[in-house]
Amino acid sequence: MSGMVWPWFTVGRRRVLYACGAAILLFAIGNLLRPGFAGLSSIEAVLVVASFVGLVAAGQTFVILIGGIDLSVPWILNAAAILLVTSSLGENVRAPYAVLLTLGMGTLAGMVNGLGIALLGVPAVVMTLAMNGIVQGLTLGLSGGLTCGACASYAPPLIQQAVHDRLLGIPMELYLWLAVILLVSFVLSFTVFGRTTYAVGTNPRASYLAGLNVSAVTVTLYALSGLCSALAGIMLVGFGGQASLGMGDPYLFQSIAAVVIGGVYILGGRGHYIGAAAGAVTLVTLVSVLLTMNMPEYGRSITYGVIILLLLLLYGREEAGS
Amino acid sequence: MPSEALAGSLAPAVKARRRPLAHLLMQNAPVLLSLLMLAVSLFLYVAIFLATQHHLPGGFEITTTVNNTMPLAAAAAGQSLVVLTRGIDLSVGGIIDMSNAIAAVTLQDSAGSMILATMMILLIGAAAGLVNGLLVAVGRLQPILVTLATLSIYQGIAIRILPQPGGSIPQSYTAILANTNGPWSLVYVVLLCALWWAFRRSGLGVAILAIGNDPVAASSNGINVLRARIMAYVLAGILAAAGGLFLAASATGGDATTGDSFTLRSIVAIVLGGVSLFGGRGSAIGGVIGAFIITMIVNLLFFAHVNQLYESFFEGVFLLIAVVAASGIGYLARRRA
Repeated sequence: MSGMVWPWFTVGRRRVLYACGAAILLFAIGNLLRPGFAGLSSIEAVLVVASFVGLVAAGQTFVILIGGIDLSVPWILNAAAILLVTSSLGENVRAPYAVLLTLGMGTLAGMVNGLGIALLGVPAVVMTLAMNGIVQGLTLGLSGGLTCGACASYAPPLIQQAVHDRLLGIPMELYLWLAVILLVSFVLSFTVFGRTTYAVGTNPRASYLAGLNVSAVTVTLYALSGLCSALAGIMLVGFGGQASLGMGDPYLFQSIAAVVIGGVYILGGRGHYIGAAAGAVTLVTLVSVLLTMNMPEYGRSITYGVIILLLLLLYGREEAGS
Repeated sequence: MPSEALAGSLAPAVKARRRPLAHLLMQNAPVLLSLLMLAVSLFLYVAIFLATQHHLPGGFEITTTVNNTMPLAAAAAGQSLVVLTRGIDLSVGGIIDMSNAIAAVTLQDSAGSMILATMMILLIGAAAGLVNGLLVAVGRLQPILVTLATLSIYQGIAIRILPQPGGSIPQSYTAILANTNGPWSLVYVVLLCALWWAFRRSGLGVAILAIGNDPVAASSNGINVLRARIMAYVLAGILAAAGGLFLAASATGGDATTGDSFTLRSIVAIVLGGVSLFGGRGSAIGGVIGAFIITMIVNLLFFAHVNQLYESFFEGVFLLIAVVAASGIGYLARRRA
């Protein structure tokens, strides 16, 4: 069909374009509802908020590409934010060490996820659900429910600047996200590791028989997902200044939704991170448009679900037709 | 799972192939394992209770345990039906929220109103499940994504109905569903188990287990896969709505957000209860047992004076131990067979 006419225009790439188109369309609708919505400052604000979702979605893309899922995102993110402020105590001197410690914690938690899934054969849903509980319990318990003396610390100024400062008129946070987009896309599309990931996602058994180290890839991808969640936690606490309980909760739904809107196949093997990034922008734009319309919380929640369902039905049809 | 009596009467037939007791144990390994976990947690609970309170847990403890478990037990029974078809229902929490909120605003202190409102709420649960089922079965969408989206929708509707925690549940309603004077709610536990026992033997029950094992083979054998899959979600919706009613009755008021935690807990409960997430294996009774294990763990931690903040840590650890132990035993059983 269209694939024959334009070989480049594959289903996967078409979905990436849909996601980008949806974001642009939403900006246009927002501009109609409230002139100035598509202004530069407003677009910038949307992109900064989308970057946090996008960082988490990078990790979610990794694991969904091999047919997994990471439900431990909310509390790894939250634990990362709390660990950063409590270990740095808001001092710049401690910032590098605190960042390394926090990223290490996220990577370790992700690695344990991967080990449980790859070696013990625990279903991804159960493993990451249990990990979410374990990290939540440890975070709440060790910080005394965020009542500890160091818990009220602010993020070190260095990290706050890394989010808020501007270079050539653009917030640093967006450069970071751009770097992540380029890096993840490069790794997935042009490296042996990336090709292995797609192969494992398409058929783990065939990959194993072909001599690929499926377990090692699985562990690495879950570790990367933990790393991404921890990075998002650091950036979010740098953005807001202080850590709070429950700050990671919205990111589970949003990261999965962004990945799906971006056309990554939920059973693995197909999709691109650039799509998930576009999905994150679409999602955050949608929320902003709904806020512009002064829609109350319940209305946003309902609209959110309905739009995801409509997008799913749109993609589902394509799946059945091909 | 066949009941002991039925399996016992069938045992002579399989005697020729394998020792009946070994066969029975292996067939029921997951449920037996979860019963063992329940027994261990119950034993630890009684021991710690005795050590700290210096008397055995009595009627009051049994009553509160059963009343606290009923909402989760109902939700987990529903979740198990969906998981048996290789699906998953994340909207359980949203349906409980809706049912809870509607109960708080509609229930009046008269028999007619209570019966009418209960029927209406269960029907709304069925409708919510029907939406899930149609999207999954007819729309051919991934259950995890569909129910994640409908979770958001149902939560929104619940908050629209009851923006702030409040409303009131008539005392007589609480007396029926969550009586605090005695462990009368055990009747509902028995009822749930009896319903599963009958359902397991009905055409629909067989169909749900069959499509979980192998949808293609089930379809070739004349099972209406579409209908069975939709019905699993509808029944899960009804059971979740019932869970919301139990929750409202024991809290004697409504709150449109307390149901949220039940999505994850219902999954934990069925896994503890030996239901396979890959479908086809397990029972609603397992889900009910799993719900009681969770309550026992919470009770255990409370009386062991473990800081409540660590609660989810222990739940996560127990969940992992249960899954790894179950798969380890399954592995050993297969190697011996």
